[in-house]
Amino acid sequence: MLAHTVQAGTPLLLGTVGEIYAERSGVLNLGVEGMMAMGALTAFMTSFYTGNIGLALALAMAAGALLSLVHGFLSITMRANQIVSGLAITILGLGLSGFLGKPMIGMTAPHLTSFPIPILAEIPILGPIFFSQDILVYVSILAAAVLWFVLFKTRLGLNARSVGENPAMADSLGLNVYLIRYVCVLLGGVMAGLAGAYLSLLYTPLWIEGMTAGKGWIVIALTIFATWNPLRALLGAYLFGGVIALQFRLQAIGIGTQAPQFLLMLPYLTTIVALVLISLEAVRRRIGVPAALGLPYVRGES
Amino acid sequence: MTIAVPVVSLVLGFLSAAPLFLAVGVNPILAYRQVLGVFLNVDGLTESFTRGIPLLLASVGLCLAFKMNFWNIGAEGQLFMGAFAATGMVFLLPDSSAFVLLGSMIIAGFIFGGLFGMIPGYLKARLETNEVLTTLMLNFVAILWVDYLVYGPWRDPEGFGFPLTPMFPPNARLPWIPGTRIHAGLIVGLVCAGLVYVFLARTKWGYELKVTGESRLAAKYAGIDYLKLTLLVMFISGGLAGLAGMGLVSGIVLRLRHGISPGYGFSAIIIGWLARLNPLAVVPVSILFGGLLVAGDALQIGLGLAFATSQVFQALILLFVVGAEVLTRYKVALTWE
Amino acid sequence: MKGIVKRFPGVVANDHVDFELQAGEVHGLLGENGAGKTTLMNVLYGILRPEEGEIYIRDEKVDIGSPREAINLGIGMVHQNFKLVEPHTVLENILLGLKEPAFILNLKDAGDKVLEISKRYELPIDPGARIWQLSMGERQRVEILKALYRGANILVLDEPTSVLTPPETKELFRFIAQMAREGRSVVFITHKLDEVMAASDRVTVLRAGRNVDTLHREQLDKTKLASMMVGREVLFTLRKSPVVPGERVLELNQVTVMGDKGFPAVKNLTLDIRKGEILGVAGIAGNGQRELTEAITGMRPILSGEVRLYGKEIHSESISRRIEEGIAYIPEDRVGVAAPQGLTVAQDLVLRRYREKPFSSGVFLNQHKIDNNADTLIKEFNIMVSGKDAPARTLSGGNLQKLILARELSGKPALIVAVYPTRGLDVGATEYVRSLLLKQREAGAALLMVSEDLDEILSLSDRIAVMYGGEIVGTFPASEANVEEIGLMMGGSLRKT
Repeated sequence: MLAHTVQAGTPLLLGTVGEIYAERSGVLNLGVEGMMAMGALTAFMTSFYTGNIGLALALAMAAGALLSLVHGFLSITMRANQIVSGLAITILGLGLSGFLGKPMIGMTAPHLTSFPIPILAEIPILGPIFFSQDILVYVSILAAAVLWFVLFKTRLGLNARSVGENPAMADSLGLNVYLIRYVCVLLGGVMAGLAGAYLSLLYTPLWIEGMTAGKGWIVIALTIFATWNPLRALLGAYLFGGVIALQFRLQAIGIGTQAPQFLLMLPYLTTIVALVLISLEAVRRRIGVPAALGLPYVRGES
Repeated sequence: MTIAVPVVSLVLGFLSAAPLFLAVGVNPILAYRQVLGVFLNVDGLTESFTRGIPLLLASVGLCLAFKMNFWNIGAEGQLFMGAFAATGMVFLLPDSSAFVLLGSMIIAGFIFGGLFGMIPGYLKARLETNEVLTTLMLNFVAILWVDYLVYGPWRDPEGFGFPLTPMFPPNARLPWIPGTRIHAGLIVGLVCAGLVYVFLARTKWGYELKVTGESRLAAKYAGIDYLKLTLLVMFISGGLAGLAGMGLVSGIVLRLRHGISPGYGFSAIIIGWLARLNPLAVVPVSILFGGLLVAGDALQIGLGLAFATSQVFQALILLFVVGAEVLTRYKVALTWE
Repeated sequence: MKGIVKRFPGVVANDHVDFELQAGEVHGLLGENGAGKTTLMNVLYGILRPEEGEIYIRDEKVDIGSPREAINLGIGMVHQNFKLVEPHTVLENILLGLKEPAFILNLKDAGDKVLEISKRYELPIDPGARIWQLSMGERQRVEILKALYRGANILVLDEPTSVLTPPETKELFRFIAQMAREGRSVVFITHKLDEVMAASDRVTVLRAGRNVDTLHREQLDKTKLASMMVGREVLFTLRKSPVVPGERVLELNQVTVMGDKGFPAVKNLTLDIRKGEILGVAGIAGNGQRELTEAITGMRPILSGEVRLYGKEIHSESISRRIEEGIAYIPEDRVGVAAPQGLTVAQDLVLRRYREKPFSSGVFLNQHKIDNNADTLIKEFNIMVSGKDAPARTLSGGNLQKLILARELSGKPALIVAVYPTRGLDVGATEYVRSLLLKQREAGAALLMVSEDLDEILSLSDRIAVMYGGEIVGTFPASEANVEEIGLMMGGSLRKT
C-alpha cells in the first residue's frame, strides 16, 4: 500500500511543483485540472498509436505547455481575469480530453513499466516502495529537489519569487516581469501535462472519461498546503497520496463506508486550515501567499 | 456595442470548434446542424430552459458576490449542499403534502447553501483569508459529503449498489409548468433574477455592494460594514446556488446521486462573467448554456460524440469572449486617452 | 545638473534647476513638499526623464535612462518608501537585480562581502535575517548596503530620518560623515532644519520647483533657511468676517495613533476646535497629519487618549455613527476613497449619506430623492458634468473636489475635516473651495484643515497649529502668525505651545 501511496502522490507532486512556480511568480493557475486531462489524453493517444513512451511523455508535456501558454497569454499579456481564464482552460482541457478521447474509452496502451534501481531496490521495506517504481516517480522526486534548489538558491528562483511578491519593484530593478511569469506558467503547464501522462500511462490501466478525477484541484490545494515550497510539496504529495491509497484500500476491503469520503476531505480541510493560519498577521509575513498572486501587472501602476 | 461584442465572439467561439469535429472524423456541418436543431425544435428548446435553470440560479447569486469583488468560486459546493439539504427534507418528511415538502425543500436548500457560503465570507471579512482558495476547497468538501451520503446511509437499497438515493416520491418533485415540460424551478429562477436585479439597483445593500466593489477603503469611508455586507451577500449567493441544487434534485434528476452536478457551479461563473454580472442578462445566457448541454446530448446520441462536447463549446466561447473583452478594453482605453 | 526641467500634467516640478555636488561633500537638499527635491533626485537616479537640462558626472555629460544606468555611474538612492521584498532575506534583497552571480547564488561570498561593507561602515546587519523581522532603521541600513554593494559613490537619501529614532539618526549622520571623509558624496533630502544645519557642508533650498539658493556651512542660519524654504512675505488678506467662536466641538486629549510603519505617527496630541472656527494644521506632509485626520474621522483606531465631540467620547464609534453625528470628511485621496470613479455622479453625491432619511427608507433607496439631490447640488455647486448619471471618472479634478465638497457640506456638518482641500486645483476652483469653507465657518461649523499651502493656512485659519514629528509644536491665533517662525516649526526647530 505504501508503494501505492507513492504512485498516488507522484502526479500530485509533479503538478504541484509546477504550480508552485506559477503561483510564486504571481499567476494563479486554476487550469491545472484541464492541463492534466489533456496531458493524460495526449500521452495515451501517442502511446496507443506509436508505442513510444518517451514520445508520449514529451507530447504530454507539450500539450500542457500549449494550454498554459493560452492561460499565460490571457493573464499576463492581456491582463484578463486569472480566475476566469484558468477555469476556461480547465473546462477546455476537460472537454477536449473527453471529446477527443471518446473513441479510446476502454482501450489500453503501452504503459510505463517499473524500473527498479539496482541495489537500492533490494533494501528491505524502503526498496520496493521507493526504488522499484517507474521512472516518473524518480523524476518527480528529482524534480522536487532540483526545483527547490533553483527556487531558493539560484538567481532564477530569486527573480521568480520577487516578481510574485512585488512586481513593481522587480520591474524597477530591471527584471522582465512578463518573461519570468511566462516561463513559470509554462513550467506549470509542462509539469501538469506530465502529471496527466502519469495518470494515463501508469495509474489506470485503460482510458476512461474523467481520468483526472479532481487531481488537478488537489494540486492547487497541495500548493497552498505546501506553502509554495517544493520540498514540503514532496511531503504533502505523499501525505495526500497516502490518503487516496488508504481510501482505496479501505474500500477494497469493504470497511464501513464512513471512512472513505471523510478521509478524502482531509486534504481540502487541512488546506483551509492552512489558509486561515496563513492569514493571521503573524504568520502571513513568514509563509505568506505570494503578495501579487492573481493580480495582473501593469507597468506604471504602483 | 456592448452586446455586439459578446455575441460575435460567441459565434466565433462556436465556429472555432469546427476543426475539432474534423479531427474526430465528423462532418462539422452535420454537427452544427444537430446543435441548431436543438434550438429550433420545441422539445430541444424546452430542454434548454430546463437544463438552464440551475445555471440561472447559481449565476444570479454569483453576480452579487462578484460585483462586490468577492470571488465566490464555491458555487458548486454550495449547490451540492443545497441538493443535500433538499434531499434531507425528503427523508425527513416523506409523507407531507407536496406544498409543505417542496416548500421546506426550497427553504432548506437555500439556507444550507447560504450558510455554507457564509463560511468563506466570514473568513475573508475577519481574517482577510483569500476567498478564491477557501471557496474552491470547500467545493470538494461538499461534494465528498454528498458522496458519503449516497454511497452510504442514503443509498437506494434497490439501486444495484450505485451511489444514488431512491427516486423522489411525487410529492417531492417540482411540478411542471402547465403545458410544458419545464419544471417550476424556472419561475423561481426568473423571480430570483428579478429580485436580485432589484436588490442591486434599488436597495441600500446593492449600493453598498457597488461601492465595496469599487474600493474597500471607499466603502470604509462611506461607513459600510464590510463584515455584515459580506455575510449577507454570501448568504444570498450561496443560498441561490443551494436553490440550484434543490432544483436539480427535485426537478431534473429526481434523486440525489454522485456527481449530481457536472460542474454547473463552475459554468455559472462563466455565465455570470459573460453576462457582465447583470442578473437579467444571465437569463438568456444560462438558457444558451442549457442549450449547449442539450446539444451535447444530441451530439452524443446522434453522432457518437462525447458529451464533453458541450464543455468544449463552453470553453471556446469563453476564451473568445475573454479575448474580445480585453481587446475592447484596450480600444476603449486608447480612445479615452 | 544644469537647467533641469521636469513637467508633470498641470505642474512644473523642476523649473530650470541647477544643482552641483562636489566629491566628499555632504549636501542637504531642503524644501517643503512639492518643492521638487525628490523629483530632482529621481531624475538623477534615472527614474524620471527631464524635459530639458543636462547632467554631468565628473565633467562628462551623461544620459541617465534608468536606475540601472544610474547605478552603473555610481549613483545610489535610498527612497522614502523602501524597495524591499519582505519575505526575502537581507542578502537576497541586496542581490536582487544584479548580474552577478549569474546562476547559483553564491550566498557565502556575497554574504562575506556584505559583512565586510557592513563592518567598514559600522552598519550592523545580519545578512540572513528576513526583512519583515527588521525595524525600520535596520531596513534602511539594508537599503544603504544595497547601494554600497553596487559601489555607489554618490549616495542620495530621501528623508532618511523620518523613520529613525534619535540614536539611529545620530548613527546615520556618523555614517554620512564617514562617507564624505572617504571622498564619496552624499545628498540628503529633508525638511528638517536642525539636521541640515548640523550635517551639511552645503545646503540647497528648493521652493516651488526652483532653486532658491545654495548656502555654505558658514552661511547657514536657521531663520534664513526657514524663510527661504517657505518663502512668503506676509501676504494674507483677511477676507473673512469676524466670527465669535462658540462652544468646543472637537477635543483631542493626549491622543496617540499608530502609523503604518510600526511606530506612533501621532504622539500625545492635544487640540480643540470651536464652533465657527477654522484650525489650520500646517506642516510638511508625513508628520502625522494624515493619521490625525484618520483618527478623528474613524478610519484609524487610536492607541490612547480621548477624542470628544461636543464633550462626548467618540473614539470607539463606528464611521457611520460619526457621519450621523455630523463629522464631514474631505480626504486626501479623492479618486480612491472619497469619490469612487466607477459610480455615477449622483451615486457619489450620496456616498456617506445614503443611510439618511430622504435617500433611503428601510431597505430601499429612494432613487427619486437621490436624483433630486444630485440635480440640486450640481446646480448649486456648479459642477461641470455631462449628466448626473455620468461616471465620476469623467470629472476633472476640480469638479470632483466640488462634488466631494457638495456632498460633505450639504449635510450641515458640525465638524469638517479637510485634508489638502485645494491640492491640484486651478485658481478658480481653489478660490471657490476656500469660499465654501469660509461660508461653513460662518454657519457655525468647526473646521480642521490640513494644508501644505501656507497662503491658505494663513488666510483661512482662525488658529494655526504646526505639526512636526507627530506632535503639535506650535499653536497660535492666525493674527500672531509669523512666517519665519512657522517655517522653523515646520522644520522642527522651534516649539511654541
